Amino acid sequence: MNAIRLSRLAAIAACLVVVAALVSACGSSKSSSSSSSSAASSSTSSAATGAPKAGGSLVALESAGYSGDWPTGLDPATNVNGAANQDQMNAIFGDLWELTSAGQLSPDLATGYSFSNGGKTITITLRPGLKFSDGTPLNAQAVVFNWKRDLATPCTCKPTNFVVKSITAPSATTVVTNLAAPDGAFVNQLQDSNFSWIASPAALKAMGEQAFKLKPVGAGPFTVVSDTISNTLVLKKNPSYWESGHPYLNQLTFKSTASDESALEEMQAGEGQAYPGLSSPQLLSSFKSKFTVTTVPSTSPYDIQFNTSIPPFNNKNARLAIYYATNAALIDQKLFNNTNPVGQSFTAPAGLFYEQTVPGYPTYDLAKATALVKSLGGLTINFFTIQQPATTNFMEALQSMWKQAGINASIHFYPLAGLIQQFESKKWQIALQTAGAWDPAGGVGLAFRFLSASPFSGVHDPHLDSLILGGQAATSPSTRKSIYDQAAAYIAQNADGPFLFPLANWNVAAHGVQGPGLTTPIPPVAVNGPVLWEDVSG
Amino acid sequence: MSTASAPLKVPVRRGRGGTLARTAESPTLRFIARRLLMAIPVLWGVTLLAFAVVSHLPGNAAQELLGINATPAEIHQLSVKLGVDKPFVTRYLDWLHGIFTGTLGHSLASGQSVTSILGSDLPVTFELLAYALLISLGLAVPIALLSARYPNGIFDRITMVLSMAGLSIANYVLALVLVYFFAVKLNWLPALGWVPPDHGLGQNIKYLTLPAVSIALSLLCFYARLLRADLIEQLQGEDYVTTARAKGVGPWRIILRHALRNSTFGLITVVALNLGTLLGATVVIEDIFGLPGIGHELLSAIGYRDLPVVEGVVLVFGVLVVLSNLLADLLYSALDPRVRYGSAS
Repeated sequence: MNAIRLSRLAAIAACLVVVAALVSACGSSKSSSSSSSSAASSSTSSAATGAPKAGGSLVALESAGYSGDWPTGLDPATNVNGAANQDQMNAIFGDLWELTSAGQLSPDLATGYSFSNGGKTITITLRPGLKFSDGTPLNAQAVVFNWKRDLATPCTCKPTNFVVKSITAPSATTVVTNLAAPDGAFVNQLQDSNFSWIASPAALKAMGEQAFKLKPVGAGPFTVVSDTISNTLVLKKNPSYWESGHPYLNQLTFKSTASDESALEEMQAGEGQAYPGLSSPQLLSSFKSKFTVTTVPSTSPYDIQFNTSIPPFNNKNARLAIYYATNAALIDQKLFNNTNPVGQSFTAPAGLFYEQTVPGYPTYDLAKATALVKSLGGLTINFFTIQQPATTNFMEALQSMWKQAGINASIHFYPLAGLIQQFESKKWQIALQTAGAWDPAGGVGLAFRFLSASPFSGVHDPHLDSLILGGQAATSPSTRKSIYDQAAAYIAQNADGPFLFPLANWNVAAHGVQGPGLTTPIPPVAVNGPVLWEDVSG
Repeated sequence: MSTASAPLKVPVRRGRGGTLARTAESPTLRFIARRLLMAIPVLWGVTLLAFAVVSHLPGNAAQELLGINATPAEIHQLSVKLGVDKPFVTRYLDWLHGIFTGTLGHSLASGQSVTSILGSDLPVTFELLAYALLISLGLAVPIALLSARYPNGIFDRITMVLSMAGLSIANYVLALVLVYFFAVKLNWLPALGWVPPDHGLGQNIKYLTLPAVSIALSLLCFYARLLRADLIEQLQGEDYVTTARAKGVGPWRIILRHALRNSTFGLITVVALNLGTLLGATVVIEDIFGLPGIGHELLSAIGYRDLPVVEGVVLVFGVLVVLSNLLADLLYSALDPRVRYGSAS
């Protein structure tokens, strides 16, 4: 019996030794595998420095739930997720103007513009001789056709900050747009909107809307090979692209990936060579250890939004108590390791008209906050934001910070529909939001959060309205800057909403892959910065 | 036995006892027809429940599609266009009417017909399920046979411990671990994506291996333990085994020719009943591996409150579960001549 037990034990021990040997073999093969892959990385990295190389293919991973979702297809007029899908849209359609690393617009399909009629008429000149990838001309008539179609469809990716009275094409390369009100920001507002993506009217007519949204035709650097909605989009080089020698890549594939974590694994496995829009700071070191990581500074600062129409924030002292009780620098230090530029207005360093400090801005002062709360007889508030992992810590930090001043904030996280319902109810009190854009007159900019007419505004002040609309109307950049400075000061003076800081995100590229927007930052208009895919090589 | 009670509406040739008449009188066919008729209220209930649940989630397709920056006016405009502003009952009756007229409707998001979405997504999910079942059953049966041949032996003990461990790992956790080792560290298999079989069967299998193993491992462990236990019970307690031994039949022959056949019943039942769980697993696994199957489609459709697509997928899932259970019952009768559905015995 003992002998049997002993022999069994010996056999079990032998098995364990075999298992241990297998594990160790796996370990050694792993290390040899990683050393060979790092050798490969370093060789490609050194090969890629210098001039970009033409040829090759690249897989770009896009985050599911945002840029990796294109549920309604890729037709500019009906892609409701167009602003998030700028990578795919820019690659297929190009842009009228492109944002560059300098934060300025550069001509792409359009070459120039001018204002007349006091800023109400904008004349745009197109690049002559442009052709869609189906061979038909991209001319002014095509632009007019697209813009009229865009305006007729319900889509948040159409520019909504101006009212169009007419769009005409007096010549093959001239588009004239008449607006109801002057708009010096018109061209800036086209960025990351469907006005910037011109689809082939002939292809649309021939294919029909349903087929077109799955395999759209544009005049961008790439054409569609295959499209599995919200999963994989395979593009190939457009041989008739206007810019000679571009794009560099022969094939570009966009693949949707479940999360930042899965993107890391997929890039490590060589399944993707680019991942624009990484938003998890805790994964930064893992990405940095293997890939080129480029910080893309945001242009939309977080702000604390008040509903100034109802108690308690119809009382300026209650609003001031929040200003004085909020230490944005401490939050940045504790939660984000001092990586974000703390600000006092709706502008950010990467955007236009940046102003770091605002005259009269009420800065952190716990004693003043406590005294104000006492004078109010206490302050109990409902504080809400959108349900996202990134906002949880942020909200809790503000809640505990305000508690020190005697402010009792109960925090609520709503999914998208719940958030919209809160605004529609007009009974909300205070919210954590973002307010600002690359151009304050575009996107989720100043008007979106502070103009009386906006359903997402908590401020109803005619003077602030006139400043907001004045900043958009002026055609001179210096005049616009001056008006926006006044608007920032006015918001601070009325304590209409404290600002915190814009949260950066990151673009990841495999060693050897380079290109503007990917390995050099371009300011984002909405959330992710644009990538100029025609200039990306790898 | 009267043919009048048979649910089959098969035109029966009278008078000469033709093939059709005999077919209509077949107890097995009557059983199949009865089961298929019973499936109708089941499928109706499932689709109604899914419709009600998704309809009562906060938000609608217009809100979800337009996103956070949409104004109430834009949301209303799209709601009217998509028809999601109509009352719940009207929308459900519209969908049911579509079913009776042979259409599953169109996706609220992409505008594609639900039939074409299912047509392109189903092959991916079927292949994944088939591959996972092949792996799990292909390994579970030999493991169970070996374990049952030498119960409490070293192989049996190791495999039972490992199978317990395998059962304890959630498939989505296993998926990440597999990706880490086999895609990231060893670089043997791809971590993401899908290659259709017509682009190369080798590549197709390569891309499906990690997702299939993620689903198959827990099934493999479960099936192996179940079959082993049943085989041991047969070998230790059944008279026919004692008789076979007395006649000098070898132990492997007893297991393979006699015990395995009897033990297969339990396995078939579990495999069929597990199909629902298996379909549920594809939802998560397809999402993790970026496979364009119906599980991935379902998750996305729920996110966008795309009811026609949700209903289409739920209907397909329901039909698959009903059919798999029916298949299990039919396999019973094929494997055991004593089981004859609908017969007096």
